[in-house]
Amino acid sequence: MNPIDKNLTRNILSPIAVVASLLLFGAYAFGDMKEYEGIDGRSYHAEMHEKGRCKTCHGVKEPEGYPEDGSCLRCHDVEEIVAATMPDAEEDRWQNPHNNLHYGPDVPCVECHGEHSNKAPLCTNCHSFDYSDHEY
Amino acid sequence: MTRKQHDRDRRRFVKGAAAAGIAGLAGPRLIGAARASDTEWHESYDLVIIGSGFAGLAAGIEARRKGIERVAIFEKMPYFGGNSAINGGLFAAPGTPLQAKENVDDSVERMVADQVRSGRGVAYEGLLRHIASNAADALTMCEDAGAEFHPYLQQLGGHSVPRTYQTTVNCGAGITQPLYRKCQELGVLTRNRCRFEKFIQDDTGRVVGVTLATRYYYDRDVSEGETINVKAERGVLVATGGFSQNIALRSAQDPTLTTEVTSTNAPGATGEAMLEMFRLGAVPVHLAYIQSGPWASPDEGGFGYVSNYSIYNFPHSVAINRATGRRFMNEIADRKTRADAELANRDEQGKPLPPVLITSYSEAIKHPSAKKVLKYGVGWKFEDLASLAKEFGIPLEPLKEQIDEYNGYVRGGEDKQFGKSMELAKGKLIEAPFTVVRLWPKVHYCQGGVEINVKAEVIDSSSGLAIPGLYAAGEVTGGVHGVSRLGSCSIPECLVMGITAARTVAGGAA
Repeated sequence: MNPIDKNLTRNILSPIAVVASLLLFGAYAFGDMKEYEGIDGRSYHAEMHEKGRCKTCHGVKEPEGYPEDGSCLRCHDVEEIVAATMPDAEEDRWQNPHNNLHYGPDVPCVECHGEHSNKAPLCTNCHSFDYSDHEY
Repeated sequence: MTRKQHDRDRRRFVKGAAAAGIAGLAGPRLIGAARASDTEWHESYDLVIIGSGFAGLAAGIEARRKGIERVAIFEKMPYFGGNSAINGGLFAAPGTPLQAKENVDDSVERMVADQVRSGRGVAYEGLLRHIASNAADALTMCEDAGAEFHPYLQQLGGHSVPRTYQTTVNCGAGITQPLYRKCQELGVLTRNRCRFEKFIQDDTGRVVGVTLATRYYYDRDVSEGETINVKAERGVLVATGGFSQNIALRSAQDPTLTTEVTSTNAPGATGEAMLEMFRLGAVPVHLAYIQSGPWASPDEGGFGYVSNYSIYNFPHSVAINRATGRRFMNEIADRKTRADAELANRDEQGKPLPPVLITSYSEAIKHPSAKKVLKYGVGWKFEDLASLAKEFGIPLEPLKEQIDEYNGYVRGGEDKQFGKSMELAKGKLIEAPFTVVRLWPKVHYCQGGVEINVKAEVIDSSSGLAIPGLYAAGEVTGGVHGVSRLGSCSIPECLVMGITAARTVAGGAA
């Protein structure tokens, strides 16, 4: 078992818990940016930040860079996220950020979501979409 | 200090390392081609394609179909499709099924003639003819891969007949997504976050591979993975697009294109692979011919929604100078003519006064972009001319007169002001309610690049012969369109030249 997988087995929120929390706080909840010891991080990942479990996502104890693309998907399920953020109107179906017109479901999560710092969604390069719950 | 050491030394996750400061820390890149004899190879393929836009994807598909075994596409950005994935999805071709259906009399020669006119005498006719001759086949490749097009043609500025298809999603992604999936289906390796660094040549000067920085994050300009040498047994195809987003480079070519002029392009369009081809000896062609899109809006970023809205509506709309209330251009002249005319719209202090495009709501709403434009607040609906004039500070009486005058041209079939073709305006009077967008050009397309021949081989500046092992296709090449490219002529160019490059490699040339 590689270090990341080993770490995951004792560390992560289960996918069920993730979906439950999404339902509880609304599909678009992004979580506050909070200050933990030595680092800012999203509140929904508090357990990892508080316990210094960088390895959960980064694969190493002392990360020097971003996690591999796809690291988020070890816990989060793309299909569930796509379903949760599907616009109601048929004409808007390709404006689902998680399965969008330009790139389908293949944009790496970190292009729109910042774990340790706020980040504007990729689409704001060109569009005036209002993702009011997204922390920039 | 090498880039990698530099990256290692950084403390990226230390609190307070602001993202904005990080780009400034990036170290200098090693430049110049390396020699194969000193190279340790990490990976090997038959055909290595740099860039995943129309040209790269079409080349990947055609290469596999022609029996090239190991084909890899490397993309600098985190996602695939390049600038093609955010373009307008407009595709010109002569002799298509829709032209047959709509009884449009068109030919390869007619399309070439339109392009040569817009190219102002310096376009490469041979390449244009090759592209126009194969455009309908490229369209078929897209449809076979699953691309869907509106069931009608459009007539874009500078085209003498309707010959332009458009994807149903009104975007180039309606082509790149199906082609990308087709590539995967055919076993083409596609890898993102791989930044091209330099070419590797053997002792005879043949291009035999490339050096790539992996796990590249363009927004921080940092590579967090290994730098690898990738062998290309049969060729390297550069399909990296233009350099509209490289402000230093574009303003060196055209000093008017400073940071104040925005661009429709994806942020990856910075031209470094083109520059490396020049270092190998490729011929620089037409670099100063950088086109601005006259259909763009100052009210949104990039290509946005307004661009396609305007392109669709220009034939049956009036573009109005807000100071005078009068038209100031043929709304379907070629791009350069219109962009220059728009840029002349200034207030008394000489500041930009973006003109407005006025369209009958009943016509505008026929294209799906109108709904988006209104919904996202980058265009507006007005019940009458008075409220429209008031909103934009346009003198009402001259505006009324202008619209009456123009409606006379619609009825008479002749534009006595600017000689606009009224073919597509037939029966479409400008009437209330109206929709309005503001116009201001954005840097859109680099006509310049490396010189190629009709086999997509890159020409060496000292020998005049093809550089062995090196191919280029799409916007990274120069000369094809001359001074100003006609709208919807990039997609056929990219696809046809990507296909051509694959066929040349498969044929064992160079």
